[in-house]
Amino acid sequence: MPTWKEKLVGRMDQQLAEEIDIFETQMVLRRQGKLDEKIFAETRLRRGCYGQRYDNGHRHDGIRTQQLPYLSDVTKGPETLWDAPGMQRIKIPFGGVTPNQLDTLADLAEEYADSVLHVTTRQDFQLHYVHIEDTPDLMRRLAAVGITTREACGNSVRNVTACPLAGVCRSEVFDVTPYAKACSKFLLGHPDTQGFGRKFKIAFSGCKDEACALTSMHDMGCIAVKRIENGKERRGFELYVGGGLGAVPHQAKLFEEFLPAEELLPIAQAISRVFARLGEKKNRAAARIKFLVTKLGIEEFRRIVLEERKIMPADDRWTGYLSNVDRYQETPKRQPARLNGHDRPEGFEAWSRTNVYAQRQAGYAVVTVTLPLGDLSASQSRQLAKIARRFSGDNIRTTVEQNIVLRWISEADLPDLYRELKRIGLAQPGAGTIVDVTACPGTDTCKLGIASSRGLAAEIRNRLSEKFFTLEDAVKNLHIKISGCFNSCGQHHIADLGFYGTSRTIGNRKVPHFQVVLGGKWQQNAAAYGLAIGTVPSKRIPEVVELLTERYVRERSGNENFQEFVKRIGKPELRRMLELFMDVPSFESDPSYYSDWGDPRVFTIGDLGMGECAGEVVSTVQFDLANAERLVFESQLKLDEEDYAEADALAYKAMLQAAIALVRTEFHDVPDHPNTIVNEFRTRFYDTNVLGDRYAGNKFAQYLFRRHEAPTSVYTRDYAHRIVEEAQLFIEAVYACHDSLSERGTVGISAKSPVQVGKATP
Amino acid sequence: MDLYRLGIKFFDVAGERIEPTEFIPIFHEWIQKQTIENHLLIDVHNYSHIHDGPGILLVAHQGNFSIERADDRIGLLYYRKQPVQTFTEIIKPAVQGCRLLENDARLRPRLRFRTDEVLIVANDRLLAPNDDETFSALEPQVSSALNHVLGKSFGLTRISDDSKERLIIRAQA
Ligand code: HEM
Ligand code: SF4
Repeated sequence: MPTWKEKLVGRMDQQLAEEIDIFETQMVLRRQGKLDEKIFAETRLRRGCYGQRYDNGHRHDGIRTQQLPYLSDVTKGPETLWDAPGMQRIKIPFGGVTPNQLDTLADLAEEYADSVLHVTTRQDFQLHYVHIEDTPDLMRRLAAVGITTREACGNSVRNVTACPLAGVCRSEVFDVTPYAKACSKFLLGHPDTQGFGRKFKIAFSGCKDEACALTSMHDMGCIAVKRIENGKERRGFELYVGGGLGAVPHQAKLFEEFLPAEELLPIAQAISRVFARLGEKKNRAAARIKFLVTKLGIEEFRRIVLEERKIMPADDRWTGYLSNVDRYQETPKRQPARLNGHDRPEGFEAWSRTNVYAQRQAGYAVVTVTLPLGDLSASQSRQLAKIARRFSGDNIRTTVEQNIVLRWISEADLPDLYRELKRIGLAQPGAGTIVDVTACPGTDTCKLGIASSRGLAAEIRNRLSEKFFTLEDAVKNLHIKISGCFNSCGQHHIADLGFYGTSRTIGNRKVPHFQVVLGGKWQQNAAAYGLAIGTVPSKRIPEVVELLTERYVRERSGNENFQEFVKRIGKPELRRMLELFMDVPSFESDPSYYSDWGDPRVFTIGDLGMGECAGEVVSTVQFDLANAERLVFESQLKLDEEDYAEADALAYKAMLQAAIALVRTEFHDVPDHPNTIVNEFRTRFYDTNVLGDRYAGNKFAQYLFRRHEAPTSVYTRDYAHRIVEEAQLFIEAVYACHDSLSERGTVGISAKSPVQVGKATP
Repeated sequence: MDLYRLGIKFFDVAGERIEPTEFIPIFHEWIQKQTIENHLLIDVHNYSHIHDGPGILLVAHQGNFSIERADDRIGLLYYRKQPVQTFTEIIKPAVQGCRLLENDARLRPRLRFRTDEVLIVANDRLLAPNDDETFSALEPQVSSALNHVLGKSFGLTRISDDSKERLIIRAQA
């Protein structure tokens, strides 16, 4: 039978292809119980494979909680069954996709998911109801069109986002795209980003005042700035750190007013190293870098990062990309032309008022394709790819408002483009307005969802769309964002009207509610978070929207914006307004309150599962050692296949991998070279008898030394068999040594001590 | 059988207006009763906001059911997600789904599925590329499975030869 692996040979980047093979082997190991479920969970998360609601095998069906009888009881993580469908997140750096990539995404949605592509609030794509068995092929097919899912989830550097208008925006300082691209590439899989206690999100913005990149709510936010130095123009970034939403939102702190472009990658690396070393590991709720920045204070944090910067080994990649930055440009498909006497179809004017943005480059425009709830079908994606090929070329981007933009549209083509979009149901007006509601996955698919964010979003969207053309402009321009719980994946903190799901008990029943969060500031890169005013039953939220917007129109003074209005009216008065909707009738008199939008089941929070917002904290050593074990496993397979030379090579590689795991605990930047690894290992763990301390470890170290110093040239079965066994024993010894060091709390006592907190180095 | 990612769509003939959301409580009820044979029914998803999308989706471990209206023709589409021994295992659950819907008091008599025309979708671009060879290889197996389950003989035609599209077969009695 043909396989994708064979079919795509030569079309995948070698490294991506190898990583996917490795993941496939890790799947085999997990199924055989040879890889710990926690390590596997974080491993798969780092490949973008998330758990999905009900994957613990329980689901309330409206009457009772069913145990879903999956055939196998193998797990792919704590309380996560192997056979249960999951979500696959696909990383799209700065949201840039091409028509060919859209085609592939559509194919994958059809074959492996539910024929729907979902755009997330961080410019990614997601597929739902995917079987883990299908993920390696899914990843291979993505790799063949240059997309990786690596580090889309897990405790890692997540998708690097950027303004969807970068490069064509009328108010940007310069195009941040090549920097976002370089940053994303540099940090992807970088050894210094592997030991985080939590996720790390980076955003790039071309200017300070607009909203597009939301830098203030990011772990690291970079705003383009230019300076004239010695008569020469210099590019750099205003750098912010420690922002983030979640249950405890933080505004990012200014790290540096002008970070020259050459320092962008080294500082990003230094921040990663500091976060990996000093960030909280045990308490997940306080592990984002925002907590570290708050704990240390920005001054101290900056000092430690700059110290770290000094001791880092130089890397050509820090500046290697810069020579190409000026040459970075996008190729429009069509010639620029003004829209003059062209025939304009019905609905065109209204659509173009909200969905068309005139580019800095005369004669070109950006068109926003509004996706209800961020969703588009596989067939729409394929047709959209066709449309993009005709009008836009490769210049497609996703947005954090869960839409897609087509850039470099010749203005004269707009009416034709509109007709084409309309034909496939993608020409709804209202992009970036109150009807363009953002929502996280919520109870539809998220294990942590409390109330239905998507159900509510659809309801609000439907109601407002009906009267969209009669709404005042002041209302049209408001933003609504909804999260299914306090974790704020729907970014409710930065909306004019934000909502997050909660539950209240009335009698002995649960009622879905939403907390109303008002006056968040989306502009100026998410400059302020909203105020929580009160909790209202889910079914009455649309009326809350109506009442608040009506009052805003009626009572706003002059050009007062919504944030100012909220401030002026004040929390007590706003609360009084909400109180009109807070009462919940008994179940007998109105059962509709006791179920959620779009879901007739009686509401329950019993379906909540263990969240995988990042997964388990797995240390770099644990990963390295799991890797060593995988290599031994692969060498075993080669032995079975009678390929003794390869079995030997893999067993040796496995020993080196285990050795470097231990060395790295003391010497983080140890060069990945066999001689160095063996020497460092010998001096640090063998000569000092640290390894020999328990379980006769030093005997096992001899296996590594012997293989390193005297490789064989005659590969017999016996020889290969012995070396595979020795590798296994050596790895065991390393495990034992690491455990014993951990118990004694002496892991990582280094000859080259890292920068200390609170101690300025001279 | 290596190829199992297949879809089958049955079309409505009644032509009455039915709101997509009317299917939501019905699908939830199927889950409560685990009504579909040899299927572990898991969840319902409302995709009715997508033009040309899967409409209302019923997810099962073995395959997904959806009420969709591609090309303005409402119907029940079943996509197989797990291996099968024979094609009949793909046709049978779809037929059972159609029967259940037709006989549901909430929908009767507004929905009736025709059994003289079905679409078969080869949802696997590796094992079943959209070409004559695949069509010829599938034709005998598909017609005999349809004949076996629906008791009629069918003539099969390929819908499009666009290599980007999947192989889609129209079967007419
Ligand atoms: C404690 C657990 C979680 C926390 C604290 C959390 C927090 C967040 C936050 C704050 C964002 C927003 C945006 C941003 O920072 O730019 C986000 C994005 C997102 N979250 Fe979560 N989240 C958690 C778990 C989950 C889970 C279980 C799901 C459902 C599968 C989920 C789905 C999403 C999605 C779809 C996005 C947009 C993402 C992207 O493309 O990266 N989150 N999360
Ligand atoms: S906000 Fe809550 S419900 Fe929504 S995706 Fe995040 S964790 Fe899930």
